[in-house]
Amino acid sequence: MEFLTLLARLADLSSETAPGPSGAPRREALARLGQAGAALLPAVLTALPSATTAAPQDNSTPLDVLRLALTLEYLESDFYARALALPNATAFFGSADNLVAIQTISAHEAQHVALLQRLLTDAGATVPAKPNFDFTGSKNGTQAALYPDVFTNLDTFLKVAQLLEDAGVRAYKGQAEFVLADNNLLEALLRTHSTEARHASHIRTMRRQRGAVVKSWVSPADAPITTAGTVPNQAYAGESVVAQYVPGPRLVPFETTLPINVGTPQLSREAILAKVMEAFDEPIDAPTATQLAQLFIH
Amino acid sequence: MSNITQKGSDEAEFAKPLYTPIKRRSFFMYAGATAGATALLLSGCDDDDDSVTTPSGTVNLGMGDVGVLNYAYALEQLEAAFYAQVVSNSSFSTTFSNADERTALMAIAKHEAIHRDFFKAAITQAASSQIIPGLNPDFSKVNFSDRNSVLTTAKTFEDLGVAAYNGAGALIQNVTYLGIAGKIVSVEARHAAYIRDLLSNGTFADNTTVDTNGLDKAMTVAQVLTAAQPFIKETINGDNVGK
Repeated sequence: MEFLTLLARLADLSSETAPGPSGAPRREALARLGQAGAALLPAVLTALPSATTAAPQDNSTPLDVLRLALTLEYLESDFYARALALPNATAFFGSADNLVAIQTISAHEAQHVALLQRLLTDAGATVPAKPNFDFTGSKNGTQAALYPDVFTNLDTFLKVAQLLEDAGVRAYKGQAEFVLADNNLLEALLRTHSTEARHASHIRTMRRQRGAVVKSWVSPADAPITTAGTVPNQAYAGESVVAQYVPGPRLVPFETTLPINVGTPQLSREAILAKVMEAFDEPIDAPTATQLAQLFIH
Repeated sequence: MSNITQKGSDEAEFAKPLYTPIKRRSFFMYAGATAGATALLLSGCDDDDDSVTTPSGTVNLGMGDVGVLNYAYALEQLEAAFYAQVVSNSSFSTTFSNADERTALMAIAKHEAIHRDFFKAAITQAASSQIIPGLNPDFSKVNFSDRNSVLTTAKTFEDLGVAAYNGAGALIQNVTYLGIAGKIVSVEARHAAYIRDLLSNGTFADNTTVDTNGLDKAMTVAQVLTAAQPFIKETINGDNVGK
């Protein structure tokens, strides 16, 4: 059972930093993982609302989740590391605050890579090698570049950073359900997820301070950084959602019954719904996340 | 929206123990059975609303997923009430003289109100007899006319919210509820980073919240409630959340 070591590792990791979730005994967790291990189609699937079971990709295993996460972290980590390694990095980032912020983010992404590699290794799985990246999106010069000045223009760099961070947040969110049966792995992914959201927020704040029309959270009021219908736009497609559901699935009606209008002046219906869109970040699935990562892999 | 009139039958509803064990199998039989009965009862805590008529006492969050939902609802009530008071304070525009900051704080106030009302609706649909009442916040230690006091309190609430969701994920059984928690926690993390940067630029993910594995903080229910309790007049009991 290759996941024994993985779980043990996660349990250790968890106890280093915070009490384990619900103090669930490891034995119990192992038993659950053992059950899930047979087909790795745990109770998650049967609990899904029927409307979403049609998606063919909804059978990720915890290993698939870890591999996808590692690909995304390799991507982010390499992106920041390359910028920080520029000979003119200090001038490129323009201010000490900018430089230090990117160093902070870069360090976290490297830590995420190391953590995921360790988890895969401890689980007895092969650690996928780091892909070759081209952050201009030209696939090493074989096609027109999407972001030709990514390492010479800070605004372009920050746009790509925002794209990667926002997409990363959505990707982790989409994978949470596939590790539902493993409390320790779930907690590790959730904690990585919110770190990425903090990064995304800061990158967005940096862009706003440089004149971009963008909130620190994903908003329909943001000036788009991608073009509708293109692959990069997958990072934002489906974010402007006003329908949220509880199990059933049953729709939670925001616009008719809920007294969400606070402060003055009171908002119009449209403005309320725009705030509802901001108040919930939406997930993306594994194929979408992979497609986004492939933009920069050659 | 600040005045609440409870009907007799609704009072009877609240007189019942909040902690009513439900067998998981029968959970969905409850869902919707009494939906709507209390939907409009509880105030949205608009503005500086502190007129919720439930007497201060002990509020039990309950067990299982409903307990987790009540836990989130309690925290979102706290955040929503806080920001509502921030943006409605008579000196808001001088306390926060920067228009971009005011715009952001007003947006956060609405996000939190939406989260609060979402949970109210969700719990009402899922198990209306077990929803906790509107809580009475205690912001007596906060100086709403002082930028640093407001932002420091905001940072406390946002970081606490993120750590609470991160720790509660593993307590959730239902995948739809897990998805909801995921959709909300990243927005809270974005808030937290923004507020932290307002207090001190560059602290959006510093080592007081992100550890050396790059993992943001997670806290247990007990840890979170200990930190939140000073801001809530009622005593919150979360002993059975997620169990």
